[in-house]
Amino acid sequence: MIHTPGTFRYPLEPIVETKNQLVVKVDRDLEDITPGYLENRKKDLLLLPRAVAEKEFETLKMIGHRMKGSGAGYGFQFISDIGTRLEQAAKRQDLKEVQVCIEQLADYLNRVEVVYL
Amino acid sequence: MAASDHILVIDDDPDICQLVGDFFQKNGFQVTTANNGKGLQELLDRMKIDLIVLDLMLPDEDGLVVCRNLRSRSNIPVIILSARGEEMDRIIGLEMGADDYLPKPFHPRELLARVKSVLRRARALPEDACEDDSSAHYRFSGWTLDVPTRQLYTPSGDKIFLSGGEFALLRVFLNHPNRVLTRDQLLTFSHGREIEPYDRTIDMQISRLRRRLRDDPKSPELIKTVRSLGYVFSTRVERTDAKS
Repeated sequence: MIHTPGTFRYPLEPIVETKNQLVVKVDRDLEDITPGYLENRKKDLLLLPRAVAEKEFETLKMIGHRMKGSGAGYGFQFISDIGTRLEQAAKRQDLKEVQVCIEQLADYLNRVEVVYL
Repeated sequence: MAASDHILVIDDDPDICQLVGDFFQKNGFQVTTANNGKGLQELLDRMKIDLIVLDLMLPDEDGLVVCRNLRSRSNIPVIILSARGEEMDRIIGLEMGADDYLPKPFHPRELLARVKSVLRRARALPEDACEDDSSAHYRFSGWTLDVPTRQLYTPSGDKIFLSGGEFALLRVFLNHPNRVLTRDQLLTFSHGREIEPYDRTIDMQISRLRRRLRDDPKSPELIKTVRSLGYVFSTRVERTDAKS
């Protein structure tokens, strides 16, 4: 069976969103590896500004592409969405949009809390 | 699924390898990961792999090429995972011999279900399911199919034209008489691809083949429908081989 690309949405949506907190439900089977995944995205946040400064669009595209492919699988639809936008912005060499993506990713990682179900 | 099913994940993204590896191990699989397609043959020579999950965008090689090369020398089932997700990529992936295609992002439970499904299908029929019958003559209910010339003869000796799809389908039935074959199996063995949702290819070809065989669709004698399962070719089949 094949399903149409881009239609998959992670079924578990955030359950609480406040100014300082964003609670996301994640599959309990992913409990061991989820903290590491979020840590890796924080490492991306260190790499991204450097890539922007150097105008390394291939690096930006690769990071966006990977976020797009992995985020929702771990339960973080937002990371996939940001990854899609980042990849597209890098392809267009749109540094302004790249910057917006980085700021939104930083805000998300700062606020996200995970509940395992 | 056998307890020791061994999955090879080829993906350059370590987070995907971690996700699939961890999730599948928790579900009783043995998992090996590789971040590129280099050394694949050596790896396959070294260990028994039951299924390969393959990313298309690898750093050193196009996953489609890896898939095609693999298929030319091995029947190991392949599921392509890719964030490319374009329709043409999916079609090419399946044409290159992949058994399934799942676009990223994906839910690991969906991948698990697809892996189990592909493994089940791969084991559903014996290995001689596609045995070489290129020099065979089949006889059934007075009819004759001459495989080398692709000619079908009626009981009175008239030639019947068969399209490529009808010929392939009849050959699959003649290889497996009196055995229920699912639509999926019929499509896989006659066309080398999997069934898709709402795919009516097999039903339409069955309908046409029945007409060729003058088999009443309301009360078929040769190709019988098995409700919710598929079809069975319900007659005695004799095979002679020109080589023997």
